[in-house]
Amino acid sequence: MSAPLQVYEPFKAGLPPLFRYLNSLWSRRTFIAEYSRSELREQHFDSVFGQLWLVLNPLLLSGVYFLLIVIIRGTSDTTRYAHLTATLFLFYLVSNSLSGGVRSITAGQKLILNTAFPRIMLPVSAVVVAVVKFLPTLLVFLIIRTLMGLPFSWEMLWAIPILLITIFLALGLSITISCINVYFRDIANFLPYLLRTLLYLSPILYEASTLKPKVLALEEFNPLFPILDSWSRALVHGQTPKTSYMLTAIAWSLGIFLVGTYFFLSREREFAVRL
Amino acid sequence: MLSASNAHKTHEIAVSVRGLGLTYKTAIDRRPTLKARVKSLGRGGKQTRVIRALDGVNFDVEYGQVLGVVGTNGAGKSSMMRVIAGIIPPTQGRIEVFGSVSTLLALGVGFNPSMSGRDNVFLGGLASGMSREEIENHFQEIADFSELGEAIDSPMRTYSSGMFSRLAFSVAATVRPDILIVDEALSTGDAKFKEKSLNRLKELRSDDRALILVSHAMATLRDVCNDVVWLHQGKLIQRGEPNAVIDAYQEFLQVGKSAAIDEDV
Repeated sequence: MSAPLQVYEPFKAGLPPLFRYLNSLWSRRTFIAEYSRSELREQHFDSVFGQLWLVLNPLLLSGVYFLLIVIIRGTSDTTRYAHLTATLFLFYLVSNSLSGGVRSITAGQKLILNTAFPRIMLPVSAVVVAVVKFLPTLLVFLIIRTLMGLPFSWEMLWAIPILLITIFLALGLSITISCINVYFRDIANFLPYLLRTLLYLSPILYEASTLKPKVLALEEFNPLFPILDSWSRALVHGQTPKTSYMLTAIAWSLGIFLVGTYFFLSREREFAVRL
Repeated sequence: MLSASNAHKTHEIAVSVRGLGLTYKTAIDRRPTLKARVKSLGRGGKQTRVIRALDGVNFDVEYGQVLGVVGTNGAGKSSMMRVIAGIIPPTQGRIEVFGSVSTLLALGVGFNPSMSGRDNVFLGGLASGMSREEIENHFQEIADFSELGEAIDSPMRTYSSGMFSRLAFSVAATVRPDILIVDEALSTGDAKFKEKSLNRLKELRSDDRALILVSHAMATLRDVCNDVVWLHQGKLIQRGEPNAVIDAYQEFLQVGKSAAIDEDV
């Protein structure tokens, strides 16, 4: 008799065998690609106007916020607008990951009840969708930047590691919130308020350097703060980001990613009975 | 895991279940919310309930065997199927599966109702570990068997429940798994499709595959199965020759041979 193909036994500790888990996740990477693609298709991002909307939407948003700044502050300059667009677009990467990820597990109920697969694929797909939506806005920002006549410099390349850090953070947040939503289904309803708060707490409508020291101390608890400040420094001002901010950003995103993934993996085997 | 299956000899073991126990906690609310939790903080009511779904179940399924599973609602039939398919890990015991398993609806067909039937078939197949090429190779056969015609490309929310189960059955039966698990999913098909799927099941039986059928349709089970287990409240009550076990089960139910339990797959 040949060896069994699959053996199912009770799990001893919290985590599934990680090597096997990663293996089966890797073998299903086409699912993640295909799922994200059909999700985008469903939201009509495969048509010309859909893609146009992908760019128009953040542009209009940044226009609205810029108007707000001009009215409140009285004056404004081009750098400020560049800062606003750059950080707002990156913020929407995180925000879309969260709002796409929150219902990923509960919406995949049928699939989860009937198929054995690594559940983490679903929130990961939500982040992939958010990243695909983000890329054209990055291009739009670069065009805006050129039109404004801001000089290009090598320091702008810092944006690449910052983007990677942000994606890790988005993964961690999406994975965590999709898991919480299984236990508390109304988290999805709270999410818009959480995101709005996060938006105002982050250096988007203002620059980090203009904050009072007291508020700055509070920002230690905002994982997006060091990321957005470094992003703006690199992309808008063409400067090297603060080392301390880069380190805090890495710590935040890795921390949230690891804690969230641990939380998810230790819970995911009971999703089928919780849905 | 699903992959192109190899030939298996009759009487080789396909699934071995040893001392299987399953206990789980589930939320009492169908839709647990933070709001409800906060509200009940002062009163300290219970939010979850422990369900003992399976208890010390032992059996083997051999290739070439069609195993029927009978039992009242809540007997643990579906839970057992999910454990065998690896969807829920067991609390006790050990399950060994010697082949690829496909559960009916396993390919998660219809999990996203706003996508087309085609997309759902692809996504379900990819999720269960098939490769793109494998699905492409099978797709035409699936579409033909389901007889959905053009509807395969319209969103699944426009499908009737019959069309749903047609597609699901077509997928599960077409990918030719070593072990096929069918969990009362055929009852919505029309007479013609029912007959077609029954024939398909018999075809798979003669192919030396292992089939596990969960059903309340006793006539079908008597017709198709060559072995039946009876589950009651998570325990295996009886296993053996279909007519004997089903007779005992029907006597237990005290419904005798009424028409209501002879129909459906």
